[in-house]
Amino acid sequence: MLAGCAVIRSQFALAATWNGGVVRSALNPQGSAARRIEDLWWILFGLGTFVAIFVGVVLWMAVRRNSGTQSPIERRDDHTGSSRHWILGAGVIGPAIIIVIVFVVTVRTMYAESQRPDADALIVDVTGHQWWWEVSYPDLAVSTANEVHIPAGVDVEIHLRSADVIHSFWVPALAGKRDALPERTNTLTIDADHPGTYAGRCAEFCGIQHANMDFVVVAHDAASFEAWIDARRAPAANPDSEIGAAGAELFVARGCGSCHAVDGLATGGDEPAPDLTHLASRRAIAGGLLASTGPDLRTWIADPHAVKPGVLMPDVALTDTELDALVAYLESLR
Amino acid sequence: MTQHDTDRGDVPPDHRGADDDNDWVNDPSTPLARELETSAELNALWDDKPGLWGKLTAVQNDAIGVRMLLTGFFFLLLGGSLDSFVMRLQLARPDSELIGPGLYSELFTNHGSVTMFLVILPIFEGFAILLLPTILGSREMPFPRLGAFAYWTFLMGGLLYYSSALFQAVPNAGWFAYTPLSGPIFSPDLNLDFWVLGLGTAEVGAIAGAVEIIIAVLKLRAPGMSLTRMPLFAWAMLVFGFMVLFAFTPLIVGSLLLELERGFGFHFFTPGEGGSSLLWQHLFWIFGHPEVYIQFLPATGVISMVLPAMVRRRIAGYNWMVAAMIGIGVLSFGLWAHHMFTVGLPTIVLAFFASASMVIAIPAAVQIFSWVATIWDGRVQWKTPFLFVVGFLSTFVVGGITGVMVAAVPFDEQAHDSYFVVGHLHYVLIGGVALPMFAGIYYWFPKFTGRMMSERLGKWNFWLLFAGIHVTFFPMHIVGLLGMPRRIYTYPADSGWAIYNLISSLGVLLILPGLGLFIVNVYRSYRYGRRAGPNPWGAGTLEWALPSPPAQHSWTVPPIVHSSSPLWDQDDLHSGTERQEKLVNAMGKWPLKWRAVLVVGTGDGEPEEIFRVADTSVWPLITALGTVGIFASELLKFRLGAVAGAALITFAVIMWNRPNPPAMTEEEELDFEAEHGVPVRASGSIVIARWALGIALLFLSIAFGSFVLAYFYLRIENPVWPPTDVADPSIPTAVFVVALMVAAALSAAYGRRALLAGRRGIVAGLAAAGVAGMAAGGVLAYDLWTLSFGSSDHSYGSIFHALAGFALVVLFIAFVMSATTLYDAIRGQFTPRRFSPVDNTVRMWIGASVIITGTILVLYASPYLMR
Repeated sequence: MLAGCAVIRSQFALAATWNGGVVRSALNPQGSAARRIEDLWWILFGLGTFVAIFVGVVLWMAVRRNSGTQSPIERRDDHTGSSRHWILGAGVIGPAIIIVIVFVVTVRTMYAESQRPDADALIVDVTGHQWWWEVSYPDLAVSTANEVHIPAGVDVEIHLRSADVIHSFWVPALAGKRDALPERTNTLTIDADHPGTYAGRCAEFCGIQHANMDFVVVAHDAASFEAWIDARRAPAANPDSEIGAAGAELFVARGCGSCHAVDGLATGGDEPAPDLTHLASRRAIAGGLLASTGPDLRTWIADPHAVKPGVLMPDVALTDTELDALVAYLESLR
Repeated sequence: MTQHDTDRGDVPPDHRGADDDNDWVNDPSTPLARELETSAELNALWDDKPGLWGKLTAVQNDAIGVRMLLTGFFFLLLGGSLDSFVMRLQLARPDSELIGPGLYSELFTNHGSVTMFLVILPIFEGFAILLLPTILGSREMPFPRLGAFAYWTFLMGGLLYYSSALFQAVPNAGWFAYTPLSGPIFSPDLNLDFWVLGLGTAEVGAIAGAVEIIIAVLKLRAPGMSLTRMPLFAWAMLVFGFMVLFAFTPLIVGSLLLELERGFGFHFFTPGEGGSSLLWQHLFWIFGHPEVYIQFLPATGVISMVLPAMVRRRIAGYNWMVAAMIGIGVLSFGLWAHHMFTVGLPTIVLAFFASASMVIAIPAAVQIFSWVATIWDGRVQWKTPFLFVVGFLSTFVVGGITGVMVAAVPFDEQAHDSYFVVGHLHYVLIGGVALPMFAGIYYWFPKFTGRMMSERLGKWNFWLLFAGIHVTFFPMHIVGLLGMPRRIYTYPADSGWAIYNLISSLGVLLILPGLGLFIVNVYRSYRYGRRAGPNPWGAGTLEWALPSPPAQHSWTVPPIVHSSSPLWDQDDLHSGTERQEKLVNAMGKWPLKWRAVLVVGTGDGEPEEIFRVADTSVWPLITALGTVGIFASELLKFRLGAVAGAALITFAVIMWNRPNPPAMTEEEELDFEAEHGVPVRASGSIVIARWALGIALLFLSIAFGSFVLAYFYLRIENPVWPPTDVADPSIPTAVFVVALMVAAALSAAYGRRALLAGRRGIVAGLAAAGVAGMAAGGVLAYDLWTLSFGSSDHSYGSIFHALAGFALVVLFIAFVMSATTLYDAIRGQFTPRRFSPVDNTVRMWIGASVIITGTILVLYASPYLMR
């Protein structure tokens, strides 16, 4: 039984995908929280399989036993003692034993989960918005969107909140999900064993674009995390070309800056929208639908509603030249 | 597998006749119900009126039950299969652009809402209303008009809900409608109003049906059918009825609060105004989890009837089974928070709900092994109903196992809102509920149509469905573990989820033809099926002693029961003690002019009363129209229409309950009682009326409890309560209102006592009660009117107004009831023998006093006590 589980487990770990270098399976844990849950899952799977086979065999034997023997109605007395033993044994005692086992392993895992993180854990504030994630590092004075960068091998405390409706923060390879509520802050501790990229998604239905509210957790080794933070702290790049400078002017003039902040250029704030200070260094835009490269940025700005119907970003009527300028500017925001 | 009865479904009708022995499926070894020459007369007496008017005024349980079944099945095709077919088409491939996100949100919202509210519930209530009188050896349900009302509200609620499509405002926030997404800020259009109001109407119908079912099971049985001889289907429906009452009432209150927030600017669920989005989740899941078992329990009841007949052996462990049903009913209310494992509840709370969610597996396992042991000792007849039984057992076990898995909190943190849960819940609801439903239809179809369903089509029907279910839903467990969340309209190609989704979508191509064959089978069998005798399966419960189909009044001579499988254990269904025999034979010959039903003792099943059950009436339809009128007016923001609807309901309910002129004089009633030892109430029951009022008060108390829960939840969420600048509530008002309510209850009780003692005073007592009650309402309303804070100022003001408003509604009900009773008292309608309305009025005043005192304690005293 256990050996069988181990085989299935290893098969699953192989199959559990590494698509595009991004891990998204709960069965391919890359952090201690997810690994604890995976351990629990395989215990549950083993017990569940045992129960399913047991009931299946008994049911099979019961239906085969007197099958097809035509009989008149037998007015037999109540069932013999053996059926009562069956109900007591298989219906009460057996399940009770299994439930006690399940409950004990459950509580053990819960206890491990409820341990306080290391005192020096990195704190990351993550705020859910329709339909993107705001990520900021209160102790490091850095903020970004749709990407949570963390150092590998240490505890990270995610402080979750929502700015509008309920969302849920789920990175299956690192930990179970936790809801982001509008009225209070929830905390989730995660860690990643190794540097790598782990897929995350919103798991609570939050409106029309719930499906496109992806994010990634990127784990770095200590040095590259420092470098990432330093790069984030740097002021926004000044456009190095004429066309880029024209784009920066358009960014302000056409009102982009009233929602999107760019350090040194616009403060945003009218409606919540991602901070674009280092936009071009991010992997994706539009909740994972497009890359942050020039052509994709152009597609997006030209008609965001065609890419992501229902998105809260307004259409801004721009000529082709204006689009070129704006895209050139945004591409320069490394 | 034997082909004992070769299928004759294809034989053209002209080659066959009812008298052909080969074409007559029956087991002649069981006893039959006794018919008398009065049967035809009774049948006519109990029938609904002919024509369209007859359809609108119908109350007869066969008619109502079949309508509920058909309408529920209609909604199943619409919301159960059509929606899911389109969704599976969309998800068959990654990055699919077949339908957009807007339509997808509407489809899954519709799929969940319709199946949970408009399909399974009416289908099982339909089963119960259709079957219970025949199974219990009674002639009718206790409140035929309430049954009609349940049907009309359910139908109109469903249509109101579906009419959203005409206004292009289809609900789109999920069947759980989580706030604040479903609130006025994030869903400003009418979509969610259709959800709240349409389903709210249907929920009213569900509760009405439940009241009817509870009292039918407890009071309207055959002589000798003690609780311990009651067929398990009746037990299941009894527990079901109470669960509906305890679960749907908080949902109705929650929906009311949501609509007050959406339409009237109240604040319950919006953070920032003292509201809490989690309050909605609690109110919703206090309903939502029991709802799963509300659907599952009737299914276990059906299985417990079908399985023994198919293996020709009584159920093993009857008492175990009853205990398991009650246990599931009670436990199911202790695990609602397992839908909220990821919202950030304290660990100790999580552990409690995890353990409760796991423990419920024990009664479920008891049921499974009772059935398996029954099969073990029996001899299997491989007919279609049994195929569905085995399909149910094997599928449901998997759903139960994954159910225990998701009760393990840490695992649920991964599985929650992923496709793992979608797989789990469909194994439970399709395996555990839909397959038993089909078993029940194949099993009872011959009883109510007089024709067998085709075995050949039935087997195809079963195997297509069974294979389709597993092909569709098994891969969902895997893709969920691979990280696929629920309710997404598309997914990227590099996710690794595509192959599992494709398999799931292909499974639907097996399910749909399976459903199609079922429809073909029902239609063909209804037209051309083999003739069914009284007992085609050789079953042991009472309904199989009646002709197929049974007469309108079911039992000409009520049966006398000595066993839980009377057809297997009794040679004659009408022999018992001399007193019992005399009574049932008397009922076969008399009365032939009014609908008489026997009431028995709750526990022992000994005759207690014969009463006149209500006959056809249009008022249930009018009341339902008033109900839907209120909700439709709210949709159109036409508030005067709501007032008109309320007035219409009040008037219609009064007319509905106007007593018939007594069919017997008091002397005739006394003569019968002297001869048979059982009181006759030709003007209306005392026992049943008392039960009805008791259940109504229970309903009001649960509603009150739900408001109180909301109040204290908000109280705990807000550290300052009442909010700063708001004055504490007025203590003199509180004392005054309570004193007036006590005075009202005491005056009414005085009037009742005077009536029973044969003294004057009933009119004075009822009049004084009305005046005192009205004064209490006036004081409360005046205080509400002059409050320094409004209903939309803060969640404090909102819940204060909502709860006080509820108290005023309770007072209004008591007042209207008291006023109609007073009117009849002035006309001298009441005697020491005919006093039921007076009795109930007194109880209503007492109940109203308790609820209003409770309201006062919560609203006026608790701010002082909880400092």
